[in-house]
Amino acid sequence: MGEFSATRKVSSFGCMIAGIVLMLVGLYLAISKTDALGIRGMLLIIGCVVFFVGLYFFPTLKHHRGIINFMFLFPLLFAFAVTVIIPLILGIGYSFTDWDGIRIRNVVGLENYIRMFKQPQFIWSILVTFLFVVFNIILVNLVAFMLALLCTSKLKGLGFFRAAYFLPNLIGGIVLGYIWQFIFSNVVTKFTTALFDSRYSMLSETRTAFIGIIIVYIWQYAGYIMLIYITGLNTVPGDVIEASSIDGATPIQTLFQIKIPMIAPTITICTFLTLTSAFKQFDVNLALTNGTGSVSSFLGTYLTKGTQMLALNIYDTAVINNEYAFGEAKAVLFFIILAFVSIVQVRMSNKKEVEL
Amino acid sequence: MKKKLLSTLLVGAMAASLVACGQPNTDQANTNTADGAATADGSSVRLLNGKPEIDSQLQDLAKLYNEETGNTLVVETIGGDTNAADELKKMYQADNMPDIFVIEANQADTWDGMLADLSGSAWTDKTEFELENDSMGTIGFPYTVEATALGYNADVLEAAGIDPSTLTSPAAYKEAFETLDSKKDELGIKAVLGWCAEPANLGWSSGTHVFGQYLDAGLKADDTTYIDLLNDGGQIDKDRMKDFAEFIGMMNQYSDPELLVDGTYDAQVAGFTAGDYAFITQGNWCVTSPDDVDFECGFAPYAFEDGIDTIIAGPPSYWVAYNDGNVDGAKEFFEWCAGDSAQNILVNDAGLVSPFDDCQYEAVNPFYKSMKSYIDAGKFSGWHTMLKKDGLQNVTCQVFADYAQGKLDADSFVSTIESVIKDYYAN
Repeated sequence: MGEFSATRKVSSFGCMIAGIVLMLVGLYLAISKTDALGIRGMLLIIGCVVFFVGLYFFPTLKHHRGIINFMFLFPLLFAFAVTVIIPLILGIGYSFTDWDGIRIRNVVGLENYIRMFKQPQFIWSILVTFLFVVFNIILVNLVAFMLALLCTSKLKGLGFFRAAYFLPNLIGGIVLGYIWQFIFSNVVTKFTTALFDSRYSMLSETRTAFIGIIIVYIWQYAGYIMLIYITGLNTVPGDVIEASSIDGATPIQTLFQIKIPMIAPTITICTFLTLTSAFKQFDVNLALTNGTGSVSSFLGTYLTKGTQMLALNIYDTAVINNEYAFGEAKAVLFFIILAFVSIVQVRMSNKKEVEL
Repeated sequence: MKKKLLSTLLVGAMAASLVACGQPNTDQANTNTADGAATADGSSVRLLNGKPEIDSQLQDLAKLYNEETGNTLVVETIGGDTNAADELKKMYQADNMPDIFVIEANQADTWDGMLADLSGSAWTDKTEFELENDSMGTIGFPYTVEATALGYNADVLEAAGIDPSTLTSPAAYKEAFETLDSKKDELGIKAVLGWCAEPANLGWSSGTHVFGQYLDAGLKADDTTYIDLLNDGGQIDKDRMKDFAEFIGMMNQYSDPELLVDGTYDAQVAGFTAGDYAFITQGNWCVTSPDDVDFECGFAPYAFEDGIDTIIAGPPSYWVAYNDGNVDGAKEFFEWCAGDSAQNILVNDAGLVSPFDDCQYEAVNPFYKSMKSYIDAGKFSGWHTMLKKDGLQNVTCQVFADYAQGKLDADSFVSTIESVIKDYYAN
């Protein structure tokens, strides 16, 4: 536990300083675009490695473990910062400008945020998204739970059923959207024509198209949620079920009084998953209806994107309408709504779990 | 000691992976260099192509360019559903811009000050289709000409006794549609018209191309009356729109009901090539090879007002040169590309229609003869629909769909499309 040698101190500080200098030079070359030799990336990486070597030999015993922990965490933290934190901060910054994906001409302050609330279509998209979320939380969980009950019973061929119900989840949303578009436009229309004398596909009407999106989403997502419920139901101890049956509990009583209370944490996870994923619904929405469907009057306006949900509205604003900054502003609001709803939902569910 | 060795190894592995990830990557897109490698002294240009269907022909073009000039052309193709404009923005942010890339006319403002002025190039004297911009000069090289109007099956019209050259008024169309409708069984057609107003996948057709007829039909190629009006806060000429709406109403009436609301592009084109429809609401891109059809094809104007006798023709997109790229190399390529050997590949292999007057090759496209007759007679209007506000087609296409479903009549179509356009421009 003696003192550290002077050589170690010098080499440690030397490495750290050299590392920082190399990284700064690399960054300067990158930002000033003066890197004729193409060495900026190499300088950054070598600088980073040299800095960490210096940090490793930092003359301390007290903090050595902390330094090691940081060094191992650094790559992950760095990747997280580069792919999530920095884009988030940049995105918030862009939302106060008129960025078109190429350059910023003006800083517009809160104009984008004010403008979005003047767009009836955007407000409609928020409402439709909330409606979609409510329907989905209830229906996906209900269907998934019933499938899970079925798949934990003593039926024959359970493995097949589990795989079959889960399979749609493995198909991408875009592919699924196009498959179901064909089904709705060609197959279902034959039945609706015969039954209701409706000439056109259910995707051509806003209300029925919205139902179509819900059906596809349940079909896609219920199998996945079912698997989580199956895991939850399998954790219910057999002796508790056995004891309840000896006490004369009916299957319904067993379900409501024993199984459901005991899988409360699973219900929390499942509602949370369905809530966030339904909020972020994009691919099925894009492929199935592309947001189309008219609404004859909403806030005094004729809407042409009756089934367009928030994520698709943001995409259309940025990419199709070429208003990247405006899209960013909407995305920031989307993030805030999602974060708020998720926190409230988790808090409420946790409280419920304790009560159960 | 072992533990220390393990930690050192792990740290080393981490650092190595970081170094590996940090290798400079200059070729990020799907780059296909032509087999002829770059020569040491020749210039090299990168071209971003937005038409995946002609990728292999452009690779041949690159090869020939290298053989004839010693210069290198690297063709990168944006495939499938990927939006070239969106991809270009990513390339710009990544400092990986190609020297030549594809833009549509209304995207010029996005690149304001970043595109090279090509005026003075010899090829500009051989075409009237170059893209000009107020602030940047001549910026766009036209690599093809496309046309859109009412495509027809000449054999069916002839059998029904209809002369397509007389279709220059709503009354003439009404009579022709009625005749065809009454002779459907005799002519072996399923419906008079293959017109599809489905908005989710075919919104570009109704919202851009068919709507473009309201903007340009009957006008001279440089007449911008209605697009100027539209871009001035989203105004429309109600009288013209009413005539247009009545014509669309007639199209709705005579179109194949199975196609009209729920159809797809594939079904529409398949129906036309199979001879099920006498007319189709697409352009020359829908039938590109003579092998696709066993009848003669032609174009008739959207004559929603008396005397309209033009089709819309012009380049739907252009190749432009990036200011900070190899401008001289790009100019050299454009010059060569307007020449005989390049046009041979573009016209005969890629099936494009040449925009250059001195091109000696006749396109194989079945609509070419008809297109050329309109262009030679000066009876063509511009593609000003490409200058409307970005994304407008996605809202107007729904109004066409509602009209096709019978939710709107001609008058409410006019008032609805007027309010929808106005709202879109206001918001």
